[in-house]
Amino acid sequence: MSLRVVIVDDEPPARERLRSMLAEIGDFEVAGVAGNGEEAIDLVDRLTPDVVLLDVRMPGIDGLEVARHLATLPAPPAVIFTTAFDEYALQAFESEAVAYLLKPIRAEKLRAALAKAERLSRTQLQQVAAATNVPAQRTHIGVRGRDGLRLIPIEEVFCFQADQKYTTVKHLKGEDLIEDSLKTLEEEFTANFLRIHRNALVNTKYLERIARDASGQHFVHLRGLPDALEVSRRMAGDLKDRFRI
Amino acid sequence: MNRPPPSLPPAGEEPRQIYLPNFCSSSAALTIIVICELTALLLALARNDAALGFWSDLGFTSMFLLWIALCGAGLLCMLRDYLARKSVAISAAMVLTIIVGLVVIVSAAAYAYGASATTPYFHWSFLVRNAGIALVVTALTLRYFYVTHEWRHNVELQAKARVHALQARIRPHFLFNSMNTIAALTRSNPARAEEAVQDLADLFRANLSEKRNQISLAEEIDVARTYQRMEQLRLGDRLRVDWKIESLPNDALVPGLTLQPLLENAIYHGIEPLAQGGVVTVTGEFNKGMITIVVRNPLPVANLTVREGNRLALANIKERLELMYGDRATVKSGRYDDQYIVTLRFPFTATPITGTA
Repeated sequence: MSLRVVIVDDEPPARERLRSMLAEIGDFEVAGVAGNGEEAIDLVDRLTPDVVLLDVRMPGIDGLEVARHLATLPAPPAVIFTTAFDEYALQAFESEAVAYLLKPIRAEKLRAALAKAERLSRTQLQQVAAATNVPAQRTHIGVRGRDGLRLIPIEEVFCFQADQKYTTVKHLKGEDLIEDSLKTLEEEFTANFLRIHRNALVNTKYLERIARDASGQHFVHLRGLPDALEVSRRMAGDLKDRFRI
Repeated sequence: MNRPPPSLPPAGEEPRQIYLPNFCSSSAALTIIVICELTALLLALARNDAALGFWSDLGFTSMFLLWIALCGAGLLCMLRDYLARKSVAISAAMVLTIIVGLVVIVSAAAYAYGASATTPYFHWSFLVRNAGIALVVTALTLRYFYVTHEWRHNVELQAKARVHALQARIRPHFLFNSMNTIAALTRSNPARAEEAVQDLADLFRANLSEKRNQISLAEEIDVARTYQRMEQLRLGDRLRVDWKIESLPNDALVPGLTLQPLLENAIYHGIEPLAQGGVVTVTGEFNKGMITIVVRNPLPVANLTVREGNRLALANIKERLELMYGDRATVKSGRYDDQYIVTLRFPFTATPITGTA
């Protein structure tokens, strides 16, 4: 059975070259081709290929972030990164990715990387995917639903709220459940988000005002979000000082 | 066409500046007065002349010093251009002679004016002592000026060397991506691949050229267009460049790699991060002897911070335009709404006619 491959690159000649190289090597079926990160995630989610050849530098969601979203899929593909020149990126995924290939890619390197991907079992792939933890901040939050993996731009997120088991993400188009813990989200988005309570992280961009009810409890109102959010006593003074609201 | 010949020094060779500071400016005059007054104060305090009294001593001494200093400054100001043409040793000897002569004359005048009241010394002794002091002080000061000037000259040279080193750098990202494009074209379209190799060679030649200090605008536009062709292969429909440069004089003189790096930045920061691509606009105007070139590119939301590479390239272009045209050249850049705009403005000077037309 031949391996099914998805090619992701924003440059037409690069995609074309990989396609013709795969045809020469044989034994591979190109299941799909994507020109940017969003397309790639959608395509991989629908086609469940075995291998993704993923360009690192792409407009919008870059290759590293695509890999992180793919890692959350129930059946993650083997990811082989391709890149022309990205020193920092290479350092980040050197140990975790199945392989990375430098452009212009050599046929024998491509063959070796594909052979390695072929040998890995699904479980091993999941382990590799879990270890792919690039410290950079994502630009989108991935939400898994019946309709597949959806992406919510981080700038459209009002807040994250923790329940017992899940985290709720409230955004411009509604709310969804995600598996990321509030702690990891806080670490990842520390530049734009603020912990206002043990169970809430808010996007500072939407902060409108802070209010207090009769019992002395503070609440934060976010622009565009009808319900107010509880603020812990410890954070109330800090919030007032920082934003003068 | 009849245009005035360029008033610029030949490429790579600038007139060596004289090490003497410019004594013609009012700030120099002020500095001289302050130094004279401080020296007078020092002398009066040290002498503590009981016969004359502190204030009279201070007055006479400062008048004496000011006469010498301001007359000396005036003479050096008038002779500046003449001295600049002489060698360091000759100009130094001339300055020494002028100052010592001046001191002797002013000393003689001062002696004649109030010998009995101010100086208990014999006439000749007074003149010789003053001349000796003048000789030593002037020699030391000249030495100081010379060393400072050499040091500044050195700093300037180093800055220029840095600029040149920076200039020679082509983005590795561009090189490897181009190689990849060529590798792809070799299979699908060998003719295009051949063109691409030639274009890449031309770009590297322009980048490594020794005579890139001053080239014609037409040549520079050609380099920029070659660069565009290369990127076009890679980015396809995503890249559109709108050239509105018909009114620019082709023979205008520009530093090499003025426009190409701007186009490179516009594509790298403005077009590549956009999945749907965008338009870079290059507009040229020629009005009242001034050339204005404006490069605009869309600014992706996720890319609001101006990156280091961009600022370096802009600073580099600014430095080289200023080196060529001084204050008359300006480089402005900034974000306006969702666009990033760079504006170059410099005076028109025709390319000197050399061997190749």
